[in-house]
Amino acid sequence: MDIERAGGRGANQLRPIDCSRDVLSRAHGSASCSHGETRVLAAVFGPKAGTKKNENPEKACIEVIWKAKTGLIGKIEKEFEMILKRTLQNICLLTVHPNTTTSIVVQVVHDDGSLLPCAIHATCAALVDAGIPLKSLAVSLCCCLNESGQILLDPSKLEEQKMKAFVCLVFPSSVHSITPEESTPATTKSTEQEIITSLTHGIMAVDDYFHCVDQGRAAITLLSNILKKKMRSQSADNSSKAA
Amino acid sequence: MEQRFANSWRMTVNEKKFIQTALLSDLRTDGRGPFDYRNLTIQFGSEDGSSEVQLGQTRVMGFVTSQLVQPYRDRPNEGTLAIFTEFSPMADPSFEAGRPGESALELGRIVDRGLRESRAVDTESLCVIAGKWVWSVRIDLHILDNGGNLVDAANIAALAALLTFRRPECTLGGEDGQEVIIHPPEVREPLSLIVHHLPIAVTFAFMGDQSIVIIDPSHIEEAVMGGKLTATLNTNGDVCAIQKAGGEGVMQSVVMQCLRIASVKAADITGKIKKAVELYKTSRDLKKIKRHPDSEVESHSSKKEERKHKAVIAGTSSWDPYSKAADADELKAGLASQAVATPDEKMDAIQPEKQQLNVMDESPRDADLSPSLSVAAEAGEGKNKAKSLLDAVKPKHKRKKTNLSNSDGS
Repeated sequence: MDIERAGGRGANQLRPIDCSRDVLSRAHGSASCSHGETRVLAAVFGPKAGTKKNENPEKACIEVIWKAKTGLIGKIEKEFEMILKRTLQNICLLTVHPNTTTSIVVQVVHDDGSLLPCAIHATCAALVDAGIPLKSLAVSLCCCLNESGQILLDPSKLEEQKMKAFVCLVFPSSVHSITPEESTPATTKSTEQEIITSLTHGIMAVDDYFHCVDQGRAAITLLSNILKKKMRSQSADNSSKAA
Repeated sequence: MEQRFANSWRMTVNEKKFIQTALLSDLRTDGRGPFDYRNLTIQFGSEDGSSEVQLGQTRVMGFVTSQLVQPYRDRPNEGTLAIFTEFSPMADPSFEAGRPGESALELGRIVDRGLRESRAVDTESLCVIAGKWVWSVRIDLHILDNGGNLVDAANIAALAALLTFRRPECTLGGEDGQEVIIHPPEVREPLSLIVHHLPIAVTFAFMGDQSIVIIDPSHIEEAVMGGKLTATLNTNGDVCAIQKAGGEGVMQSVVMQCLRIASVKAADITGKIKKAVELYKTSRDLKKIKRHPDSEVESHSSKKEERKHKAVIAGTSSWDPYSKAADADELKAGLASQAVATPDEKMDAIQPEKQQLNVMDESPRDADLSPSLSVAAEAGEGKNKAKSLLDAVKPKHKRKKTNLSNSDGS
């Protein structure tokens, strides 16, 4: 049943993840995240005064700028911007700084599959680095389905192109365990049942989709622990960043 | 948070005065001398033609790509070189997305003049069929962090990316010999660009009335300076471009002095770029191993084992990639003694290009190399010996692997 994946990975095995904060000096918050070879850099500026034209002034506005590696801004970049913006609107506490704009700039350094999860992790880390108030962190995973119906996690670019379908899922993850205090287990359980974002490419059966979601959710706890550990180890060393 | 509400950053009068007064005594705020460059690091990404340059706090990324296009009418047998500069909004709160502002255009033009008009890159070798198909090389420069002196950093990023970029090889085929067949990198080795010389941009800032000159201004010094001069020179002593767009008037003698200093700095920076590129190329060669029976590879027993198609052995290795210096010879001996094979498909997936491994150099452990150079896809259980040689090459930061139990397998 186990197929041979490039690199000898198992079906449920993720690529090595690395996340580092405070990589840029001018941005208010910045982070770089890599999933294997995929690398994304995110920077946060804000909150800045004023909101955009059609946005609600009673809440903070989030603006995402997605920069691809080469080429002009096209539809794909705009789609990513929209997905990221809506995902982040869910996890940020928008009522803390009303009538402000927080700009997030995402730069793709290398795309080797599961780009959106990598971007979401980088963006969350950058928001944490900037001190933007968040309701929870977002943890994201990409699952793909091959012709034989097997589900593989965290596909690389080659695998994504060969697969029948793949789905990208974003789940919330409590932010309490970033700080050294003990997290309350009761709250973490209830929030981690939700799906913030789900994006599919290709055709998959409904049952397969739910299997992917279950697989993803099972993997999320481990993934969120890794990410929080990365962020916690850096916050212990760094002093607070001047605004 | 309140300071962030201001959309742009303004310098206080106190800071300006402090910088100017300090410069009268040849002191700079970061402790440099007036003619000292900041720390320069050049790193490369996982694919050819991507570089990341850090000059102090300034960070610039360069990506080079190529495409077959029709040539310009007046130059039917020359390829084209185009430079696109992006002042990413992440670099500075005052940079806006969308159309490039005038400083972005100026930067693009300076780099462009230095590279293209000085004929640093050989464009005639980019021609495939005269008048019909030529290679168009596109350089994208992304400014990630504005710590001052973007021109120099962007120039170095462009050069580093060009030196490591390789274009696919193409041959003429088809019935009439007019069809161009592009060979993918797995089939034929891609070719490097021919770069005749390296034009290095050196920026000077002029401050105050006593014509104080400093080199490589940081962004606070740039906010205070009265004028700026960028001189692009190469090690042959040619002046490729000089840019002084307005600003304070400067005596001719000062300009000549600047040019003399610039030529010294250009030699220095050229050496650094070449060293970084050499290291990258060595590690790139190490990653690619040609698997043919008649390969002229040095016959280490490890190489022979790599030709066997075995799955990754799930055993713990006693070799720790994060401990101190593993000598190349030690590793070779270790490899020879262990009966572990590199899975070929693993290597194939990551680096589809195959190349003869001519020399096993001393392991290029250098901080300059990008962390992503280390081959990805570690097997969960065991670490492969042959791959561990590559692990010795880099990673600065630890990588965590998640290994989920297969209890929730499909």
